[in-house]
Amino acid sequence: MDFYSFVEGPLLWIAILTFIIGSLLRATLFLSVSRKTDKIIYQHFSWKYIFATLGRWLLPLNKDVAKNPVFTPLAYIFHICLIIVPIWFSGHITLWEESRFEWSWSPIPDGLADWMTLIFLAIALFFLLRRIISSDIRLISTFSDYFILVITALPFMTGYFLTHGTLDSIGFLGDNMTIIHMLSGELMLILIPFTKLSHFILFFFSRGATAIEFGRRGYSM
Amino acid sequence: MNEEANEKAIEETEHEEMKEVDPKEIVDFLKPRMGARFKTWLSICTHCGLCADTCHHYTASGKDPKMIPSYKVRFLTEMLRKKGKVDREYLKKVYDTVYYECNMCRRCTMYCPFGIDIALMISLMRALLFSQGMAPEGLLKAVENYKEFGNQMAVTKEDWIETIEWCEEETADELVGLKIPIDKKGAKIMYTVNAREPMFYPQDIMEVAKIFHVAGEDWTLPSEMGWDDTNLAMFCGDLKTSRMIVENTFKRAEELEVQQVAITE
Repeated sequence: MDFYSFVEGPLLWIAILTFIIGSLLRATLFLSVSRKTDKIIYQHFSWKYIFATLGRWLLPLNKDVAKNPVFTPLAYIFHICLIIVPIWFSGHITLWEESRFEWSWSPIPDGLADWMTLIFLAIALFFLLRRIISSDIRLISTFSDYFILVITALPFMTGYFLTHGTLDSIGFLGDNMTIIHMLSGELMLILIPFTKLSHFILFFFSRGATAIEFGRRGYSM
Repeated sequence: MNEEANEKAIEETEHEEMKEVDPKEIVDFLKPRMGARFKTWLSICTHCGLCADTCHHYTASGKDPKMIPSYKVRFLTEMLRKKGKVDREYLKKVYDTVYYECNMCRRCTMYCPFGIDIALMISLMRALLFSQGMAPEGLLKAVENYKEFGNQMAVTKEDWIETIEWCEEETADELVGLKIPIDKKGAKIMYTVNAREPMFYPQDIMEVAKIFHVAGEDWTLPSEMGWDDTNLAMFCGDLKTSRMIVENTFKRAEELEVQQVAITE
């Protein structure tokens, strides 16, 4: 088996399974440990406050929108692109159709996917510059804050290069963009459970727990 | 006599400051208290900085980046990473931050996309420092008073009852027939005060007595420990004493078979 077949075969399996199982483990770990260490969550458990807070924060209906009218919308758009493009890009769906699962669903137009990718990369660049330029954010930033931003942006950047042949004239990069793109995506998937990127699932537990804590005092956050 | 006690307290504090920090003590304190939420918060905070200008310490200090709430809890991460290997100097830095740069108002939590409760983590660090003998002198003194007298101002039972009786006499001049019932079993409301009231502001007790009298409420004050509703032990993370204070109040309420406990302020 050559490297290419390894990356598009076994490594892809490893990446997707690491992502799914790892994320589920992190969630399970939170639930099982918190039962012993954070009893307050269960003593005052309330779906009402959990749904209210998740609704307000998954949709831009929260306090941050008015307080940070620039940053907050950008953060929402960033996350929307991050989720939509990889799942509904036509090229990816074709691969799912050709796979053993033969799964298929309707894609978003390629033009839209292009724009969403560019917008995503522009916002990622903005986040990076903000970290570097703002003395406030620079002070609180740690290595992993920069790291996850780069890891998340790489698959989008290489995906754009791949679909547009931007770097095709550069020998090595031009010849291997497909494999670089796959590797960058797999790297991100594998790292999700082990880094701050796990916030994609722990967000729900963290917000939910705090919503209960505030809710028991009558404040729906 | 008071001065002597003060000097002794200062000496003890200085002694504590010189004492070397035992890394095992730090880890043994933190590890069992690092629950699922604390661990999750420290591991997912992406340092987005949205908490910065929700903090009044940040805005009031001319936007000093060191006042950003998510930055203040870095000590917790550091102490765990260093396995407790920190010195007194370091703990002093933690002390300055957790006591003078955060008053645990929780406003940052209301704006945090992940709902990270910075105040709870600050509270944990205050508790850690308390276990190392570090807390503001006033709080340490108050904690001693709670343990001995059940109230933060070291008011004895005799002084407390005398003060109430004096308040009753003074107020009865104005409102004939006014009574301040002590230990009245089966009253509807048990009223509790800040221990500063019998000590410095008895007029507050008189005002409240007038309101209860005119409103025709069935109320009482307990004579035993539990009448002070302040809980300063909570602020230095002394949860044992903090619990004792609350339990005193509940005990009194049960003994007097009241339906409600009202607190001052």
